[in-house]
Amino acid sequence: MSARACLANASAALALCAAALVWRAPLTALMSTHMLVQIPLLVLAGVCAEQAWRAGRDRVPRGDSGGRSAAWSYNEYGMPGLLFVSLVGACWMVPRALDEALIDWRMAAFKVLGLPVAGWILRASLRRSNTVVKLFFLGNFCWMGAIAGLIYQDQPVRLCNAYLQDDQAWTGNGLIALSIALPALWLLARIGPVWRYLNR
Amino acid sequence: MRWALALLLALAAGAGSLYWVTAGFTALTAEDARRQAVASDPRPLPDARVLRPDGATVSLLEDLRADGRVAIVNFFYSRCESLCLAQGSQTGRLQQAIGERGLASRVRLLSISFDPRDRAHELAGYARRMDARPDVWQFLSFADPGERDRLLGIFGIVVVPAPLGQFEHNAAFHVVTPDGRLARIVDLDDPGEALRVAETLAAGAGR
Repeated sequence: MSARACLANASAALALCAAALVWRAPLTALMSTHMLVQIPLLVLAGVCAEQAWRAGRDRVPRGDSGGRSAAWSYNEYGMPGLLFVSLVGACWMVPRALDEALIDWRMAAFKVLGLPVAGWILRASLRRSNTVVKLFFLGNFCWMGAIAGLIYQDQPVRLCNAYLQDDQAWTGNGLIALSIALPALWLLARIGPVWRYLNR
Repeated sequence: MRWALALLLALAAGAGSLYWVTAGFTALTAEDARRQAVASDPRPLPDARVLRPDGATVSLLEDLRADGRVAIVNFFYSRCESLCLAQGSQTGRLQQAIGERGLASRVRLLSISFDPRDRAHELAGYARRMDARPDVWQFLSFADPGERDRLLGIFGIVVVPAPLGQFEHNAAFHVVTPDGRLARIVDLDDPGEALRVAETLAAGAGR
């Protein structure tokens, strides 16, 4: 079971990463697909890679949990990890990052390498965090996304030199939709613990 | 303890990334970053062959040197129906100010088309539409696409094809000295500042 999970997640990670890189030209031709498709693909690739690694590691029986408890204390409740991921997320709300990723190899490297790493850390941190910590960081990310989306929708001037004005407004719509959809989906999936927390 | 250290490390790495992406918390857009980079570090321009409305092809750097005045440069295309019209009217106001303040011997205006469809005929037509005074406001177009792309790259001008044969492009006033250096980029809404900078540079060059 675990071996199959490992293989499935590893293939998913590779496929997501390959999709983001092979179709980078069409994906970055529009601001909306750059921000709302390519970047999430890279983050998801990191998430799947962590799940594959985790499944692979759990396949091997361990005598003690020494390694795990050390890792735990570095990323307790996943808070350092989630803080880092939130700040990386904030970086990709900055229009300059999108523009520079097209012309500057350093920003492109930060995108292609940094986002899967952020995805990995995100998944590893979510394992260790509890509902309150998750809610805090999810809420934080979503209001940030929604505010950025509102700005993108309403700006009368272009924020990215490489993208059209209409495209910017569409990106704004997409960011707002994402900021509503993410917490809604999370709530649907995790209604039990939230309910218990509210009625504790 | 280790947790606190990890939290600090995460904060440092994340804030460091944000610092780098925003050019030291100063620029959210590439346009802001471009203007700041030029202000702190003026750029020498590569040469490009340019077309004049009279049909002659000349070297841009040679033209800047031969003219000797500080040039306020902007980029346009003659079929533009949006931004360039606003840019054109702002440049028209600059032309008027240059005339009124007797600066025509020290400062000139230069509008350069990035559209390969703009040849001598279109440039001359555009100059007429803008009521340009030939001694104050000149129009050029690129002769070679490769040289155009290189020069636009140094200026930091990004031209994006838009529907209906239009383009979207970033616009500003670029103050260029006769020795072929891009010295400053000023917002389109602030032509007074562009003129002040150009005047200061012209005075500094002893003209």
